[in-house]
Amino acid sequence: MRPRLVEWHGRVFRGLLLLYPPWFRRTHGEEMTLLFMTRLERTAGWLGRTALWGRTLRDAATNAAALRREDAQGGGLRMDTLLQDTRYAARRLLRAPVFTLGAVALLAIGIGANTTVFTVVDALILRPPPWADPERVVHVYQDSDDGEPSSNSFPATRDMATYGDVFSAVAATTPSTASWGGPDGPEPVATEYTTSSYMSVLGLDVQRGRWFAPEDDVVGGPPVAVVSAAAWRTRLGGDPDVVGRTIRLNGQPVTIIGVGPERLTSTVTPLLTDFWLSISATVLSGPFQVANLERREDHWYQALARLQPGVTVEQSQAAMDALAARLAEAYPELNRGRDITVFSSRDVRQHPQGDGNVFLAGGLLSAIALTVLLVACANLANLLLVRGLGRSGEMAVRSALGAPKGRVARLFLLESLLLAGVGGLAGLILTRWALSALPALPIADVIGGTLELTVDTRVTMFALGLVTLTGVLFGLAPAVRSARTDVSRALRDDRRGASSDRGTVRLRSMLVAVQVAASLVLVLGTGLLARSLAALQTVDTGVDVERVAFVRVDWTRAGLGVEEARAAMDELRDRMEALPGVERVALASRLPAQRSGTTTTEVEGYTPPAGTSAVELPFATVTDGYFEAMGVPLVAGRLFGPDDGPGDGVSILVSEATARRFWGEADPIGRRMRGQGSEAWTRTVVGVVGDAPVGGIGEGAVPMFYFSSRQAQGTPSYLIARTGGDPAAILEPMRRELGAWRPSVTVSAQGTLASHFGASLATPRLAARGMVAFSLLALLLAGLGIYTVVSFTVARRSSELGIRIALGAERSGVVRMVVREVAAIVGVGLGVGVLVSALAASRVSGLLFGVAALDPLTFLGAVTVLLTVAGVAAWVPARRAARADPVEALRAS
Amino acid sequence: MARSQDISSAPPRPAVYHILLALAGADRHGLGIADQIERASEGAVELGPGTLYRSLAEMAEARLIRPVPAPGREADPRRKYYGITSVGRDLLARETARLGRLVERARAQGVLAEQE
Repeated sequence: MRPRLVEWHGRVFRGLLLLYPPWFRRTHGEEMTLLFMTRLERTAGWLGRTALWGRTLRDAATNAAALRREDAQGGGLRMDTLLQDTRYAARRLLRAPVFTLGAVALLAIGIGANTTVFTVVDALILRPPPWADPERVVHVYQDSDDGEPSSNSFPATRDMATYGDVFSAVAATTPSTASWGGPDGPEPVATEYTTSSYMSVLGLDVQRGRWFAPEDDVVGGPPVAVVSAAAWRTRLGGDPDVVGRTIRLNGQPVTIIGVGPERLTSTVTPLLTDFWLSISATVLSGPFQVANLERREDHWYQALARLQPGVTVEQSQAAMDALAARLAEAYPELNRGRDITVFSSRDVRQHPQGDGNVFLAGGLLSAIALTVLLVACANLANLLLVRGLGRSGEMAVRSALGAPKGRVARLFLLESLLLAGVGGLAGLILTRWALSALPALPIADVIGGTLELTVDTRVTMFALGLVTLTGVLFGLAPAVRSARTDVSRALRDDRRGASSDRGTVRLRSMLVAVQVAASLVLVLGTGLLARSLAALQTVDTGVDVERVAFVRVDWTRAGLGVEEARAAMDELRDRMEALPGVERVALASRLPAQRSGTTTTEVEGYTPPAGTSAVELPFATVTDGYFEAMGVPLVAGRLFGPDDGPGDGVSILVSEATARRFWGEADPIGRRMRGQGSEAWTRTVVGVVGDAPVGGIGEGAVPMFYFSSRQAQGTPSYLIARTGGDPAAILEPMRRELGAWRPSVTVSAQGTLASHFGASLATPRLAARGMVAFSLLALLLAGLGIYTVVSFTVARRSSELGIRIALGAERSGVVRMVVREVAAIVGVGLGVGVLVSALAASRVSGLLFGVAALDPLTFLGAVTVLLTVAGVAAWVPARRAARADPVEALRAS
Repeated sequence: MARSQDISSAPPRPAVYHILLALAGADRHGLGIADQIERASEGAVELGPGTLYRSLAEMAEARLIRPVPAPGREADPRRKYYGITSVGRDLLARETARLGRLVERARAQGVLAEQE
C-alpha cells in the first residue's frame, strides 16, 4: 500500500475517533489508532481492507454509543468520585471557616439583592397574568386628545361590545379607591369598577359566590362587590360566610356576592385590588362618576376584550377602525380624528403610555443589582485565586499522583458551586426578609398600590440560576488556572513558583479593575441621584411649604344640597379661622403636587398641536382665601371674590405657566376657554396666579387653572390652614373642631404640606436610598479586593522588600513603590468606570433633576471616593510590609 | 456502581473473558492483548479497537485488571501496560470452570463424536 494511502486511512480513523467521548479519546485514542494501523498493514487487498473498515465502523458505532450512554447516565461525572470530591470540597471549606463565612456572606448579599429585585421586577413586568389564554385577550384604547392611545368613555366600551364578530366579550374597568369601614376604623382600599363581562374576558371564575350579572351593569340596582382572594384573607379573615355579608365603603352599605379568583390582580397589573365593584355601585364615588357613565367626553375606562376564536388582532383592529369612523361621524366635535387602537395583551403591562417608565425602572434596578453581584463575583474569584495559589502545591501533588487535570479543576469548580449553593440559600432567606421589610418602605407611594410579592417557584428558579452562574463565574478562573499549573515547577518551588505566574497576576489585577470600575458606576449613580434629591428638596415650589396644614374631609355622609354646602363651607372656614394660631383657611379639591383630575379644554385663539382639537388641563376648585393660605401670589388681574356668583359665565384663574403657553407675552386677562363639546366660551380668565407644583415636585412649569367653589357644585375635600407657627400642631385642634361642628363630616387623611411634598418625593428618595446601600456594598467589596491583592503582592515580594530595606531603602519608599503598582490597576478601573458611567448616565438623564448627567463635580467626587477607598485599602498592607523586619523576611524566603 | 457490576458479574462478556485470558500469562499493552487473543483463538476472534479499549477502561475501573509499569526498558513509553488482578483471576477461573462444564456436557451428548 502506498504511504499516502496509509496516511489517508489513518486520518479517517482518527476522524472516526470523534464519535467517542473526549475523555476516552484522550486516554486511548493513540493506541486505538496504532492497533487499527497494524491491522490495516496486515490486511492485503482492497476487499480485505473494505471488510476491515466495515468491522471497524461497526465496532466504533456500538462502543462509542455505549460509552456515551453510560456517560450520560452519570458515568461521565462518575457519581462515586463526584460524591467523594464534593465531600472533600466541603471539608476543605469547613477547615477555612473565616474564608467560607466571608464568601457565603458576599454571595448571600449579591444573590439576595438580585433575587429581591427579581421578585419585584417579576411582579411588575415579567410574570404573565393568571388569565386563561392571555394571548387571546386584547386591550382597546381610544386616543387621548393628544392623539395617543389612552382610555375610553363608558359608552364607547358598550359600542365595542357590539362587535360580536371579533370580540366574544368586552369588559370595561376603572380603578378607584374607597374608604372601608374595617374593624380598626376607616382604611383606604383599592377598588375597581368592572362590568359583568369581566370574567368571560379573562376566562376565569370566582372561587365562591358569583360574579356580577348583566343587571349589575346599570346604575339603580343595589351596589354589590366581589372581594379579591388576597383581601378576603387579609381584610376579612378568610370568613367562610363572606358571601352575603354587608360591608361599608365610603360610608354606604355594599353586599359582597363573591370571592375573586386566586392571584388575580387589578387590570393595571400587578397592583392588588381589594374589591371589585359593580357598575351599579358607581354611586359610591358620587354623582360625578355616575354622570360619567353616559358622557362621551370623559374617558375613564380601560377596555379589555377576548377575541373570537380564529380572529386575529389585526382583524379586530380593522373592526375598531370602523367603529372609530362611525363615532367620528356621530360625534364629530368629540371624536373626529380620534383613533381606536387594539393592543395584544402581550404588548401591554400596565398601559402603553406608562410601560416605558416601568421597564426603565425595572431595567435600572436589575442593572444595579447585577453590578453588585459582578463586584461580589470578581471579589470571590480573587479570593479563590489567592487560596488556589496557596494550594498549588497540594494540587500539583494530586496531579503528579495521577489525578487527571480535569478532576483537579473540577475540585475548584465544586468548591465554588458549593459556596454559591450555600450563599444562594442564605440569599433566599435574605430575600424573604427583605420582602417582609419592603412594606415599611414607601413603595406603595411610588407605584400607587400594593404588589403581591412572594418567594415562589419562579423566584427560587431564578436564585438557582444565579447560583449556577456565579458558581461557574467565580470558580472558572481558578479552575482553569489550576489545570494549567506547571506541575514540576509548582512542586519544585511550592508557593512562590505558581504565585509569580504572570498570567495569574494579570488576571487578578483585571478582577480588581473590574471591581473598581463597577463600584465607580454605582457611586456615581448615587451621587447624581443624591444631588437631584437635594435639588428637589430645596427647589422653590412657589407655595409656603413650612406653614400649611391640611385635613382631608369626607362630606359624603353629611348629605348636603348645593346651597347648604356653600353655607356649610363658609361656616366651617369661619370656625377654623377662629382657632388660635390659624391665620387663613380655605377648601380645595386637590393639593399641589398631587395627581388628580384633568378636563379637556379648548382655548380661544390657541391652536393645539396637529391632530388634536383640545388640551387636557389639570384644574382645582378652591374657595376664597386659598391663594393667601397657600402663599401663592397674584400676578395679574384679581382673585376670586363675591362677584363670582352663580350665573352663565364662569371666572377662572390661570397659573403663569398656563398664560405663557397659550398667550405668550399677550395679556391673559379676559381670555376665554370652554370645555370640549360646549357651545359657548363660558370660562373667562379674571386673574393670573403664581405657579404651584401640579402633579409632582420638579416637573417643571405645568399649566393648570382654578375654578371658584362659588360657581361649582360639591364640596372640595381638602381643608387647608395657614398657621403662624408649626402647622403639625394645628392638626389635632382642627380635628376636634370638625368633630364638634358636624360628626357626620369625618377626616380621611391629614398632614402638613411639607410632609405631603416629602411623600411626593418618595420615588427619588427611595431610589437614592437604595443606591446608597448598593454602592456602599460595592465600595466595601472593592476595598476588600484591593486589600487582598496588595497583601498578596507584598507577601510574595517580602524577600525583595526585605533586601531593599536591608540595603537602606526608605521604608516610606517601599510603601510608595507598592502603592504605585496598585495605582495603575485602580487607574485602569477608574478609566473604564468613567467611560461606562458617562455612557449610562446620558441614558438616564431624564430621571435627574437640577443636575447634569455628566456633572463634572459629581464625577470628580465619585473618583475621589474610590481613590480614598483604594488608597486606604492599599496603604494598610503596604505599611505592614514596610514595617517588617528585613532579617525575618530574608530568613523566611 | 452500575457499570462495574455489569462487567465483573458472571458470566462476563466474551471480550472480557478473552482479555482476562490474554493477561493471565503476562502483563501486556493493548496491542499485545489484541495480538494474543487473535493468536490464541487461531484468528477467529478479532476485538475491534473500540471494544478492546472500552473493555480495558471498564475492567480497570472494576479492578479486574490494573495499569502496571512497562516491563522492559525497550518498551514504548506511550503504551499503557495492564496486568490481571486477583479479582480478575477469580472471575477468569470461575468462567473457565463454567465453560469447562459446558464443554463436558456437550461432549457427553456426543456432539464431538463425528469429528473424532
